[in-house]
Amino acid sequence: MTAAPMTPVTAAPPDVGRQGNYAGGVTRLVAFAADVGASWGLFTLGAAGVTFAISLVTGTKIDLNSRTGFAFLTLGALIVWEFIYFAYQWSLGGKTIGMALLGIRVVATEGDPVTPRQAVIRTLTLPLSFLLFGLGFIGILLNKDRHALHDRLAKTVVVYSWDARAARLRWLAKQEPTTRT
Amino acid sequence: MESWGDGPDPAAGRAVSPLPGSNRMEQLVEGIAERVVNLVLDAIDINAIVGQVDMDALLAKVDIDAIVSKVDVDGLIDRVDVEKIIDRVDVDKIVSRVDVDQIVERVDVEKIIERVDVQAIIERVDIDSLVEKTELGTIIAHSTSGVASEALDVVRAQAVGLDDFVARWVNRVLRKKTADWPVGPPKLVNPPVPVPSLPVEATR
Repeated sequence: MTAAPMTPVTAAPPDVGRQGNYAGGVTRLVAFAADVGASWGLFTLGAAGVTFAISLVTGTKIDLNSRTGFAFLTLGALIVWEFIYFAYQWSLGGKTIGMALLGIRVVATEGDPVTPRQAVIRTLTLPLSFLLFGLGFIGILLNKDRHALHDRLAKTVVVYSWDARAARLRWLAKQEPTTRT
Repeated sequence: MESWGDGPDPAAGRAVSPLPGSNRMEQLVEGIAERVVNLVLDAIDINAIVGQVDMDALLAKVDIDAIVSKVDVDGLIDRVDVEKIIDRVDVDKIVSRVDVDQIVERVDVEKIIERVDVQAIIERVDIDSLVEKTELGTIIAHSTSGVASEALDVVRAQAVGLDDFVARWVNRVLRKKTADWPVGPPKLVNPPVPVPSLPVEATR
């Protein structure tokens, strides 16, 4: 009895061609986590750059944690930066860095591109969804249009924008002719 | 040897004059007449006469319609061997004399394209099959894929799978019936389909 030759088999990606469908909670959560990491990382880099530039000009080394005033200043700058990070990117193309990575975007309730006004309202009301232990986000799981609190206030929804069909084509193209199904 | 008044001469094939010498006279008269006619014809300028004829007036008097109505066009066509005519036509020679560029320049390509339903054509193409059977797949693989994009596809696919899993369990626990729930915003999941405009001739 001879063993059959082994052929490498790559697992087929799931059928997720759902462009325009409401995005689920997991994808949105991962995208938000990526955005928090990206925005904080960029802010840290920026802050480091600013302090380095100041130390070069003044000749004194600045420690942002050394004084309370600096801490408040840093916190204020962080809030302003976060507002710019989210509002600007949402108004520009409906997606942030994290959302682009996960293949989702923000659109108006009917599916139109999000307006700058909606982007600003969404950014300002996003912290409200964190209040009361994040109950503002529960709508993503329970509502039929997966509205979070800030979505409802800004009249926006989050949809998949990932071109799963293109991903499938890339996957098909990579397969050996013998393993194609 | 001449005969006199003995009736027809079978050798000559003509009537024999009843008078002696009349045959010779006839020949003489014929010769004179022929000579006179020739002289008259030489003297007449046919072109000058034709030039004096008012052709327009002449044609105006002709009823062309009456002539044409008398012609059996169907019968005429039936008698024409079209196959034979076509066989004698050198199509290559005719085509070589045609200025295709000039014809193409006169064609309104935009108008033709407007009448083509490209979307319907694309929908009939099985892209998956196309990618599998042609080198297009290799081209796509070389041009768009990379380790990063592949990893991204996997992460996104896993996230979508988890979305479904979580949503399914939440709906099951809460006993929600989601069959009639919308899958997305109306303009994205049910975009208005543009109706191709029909050509004017087709709408008549």
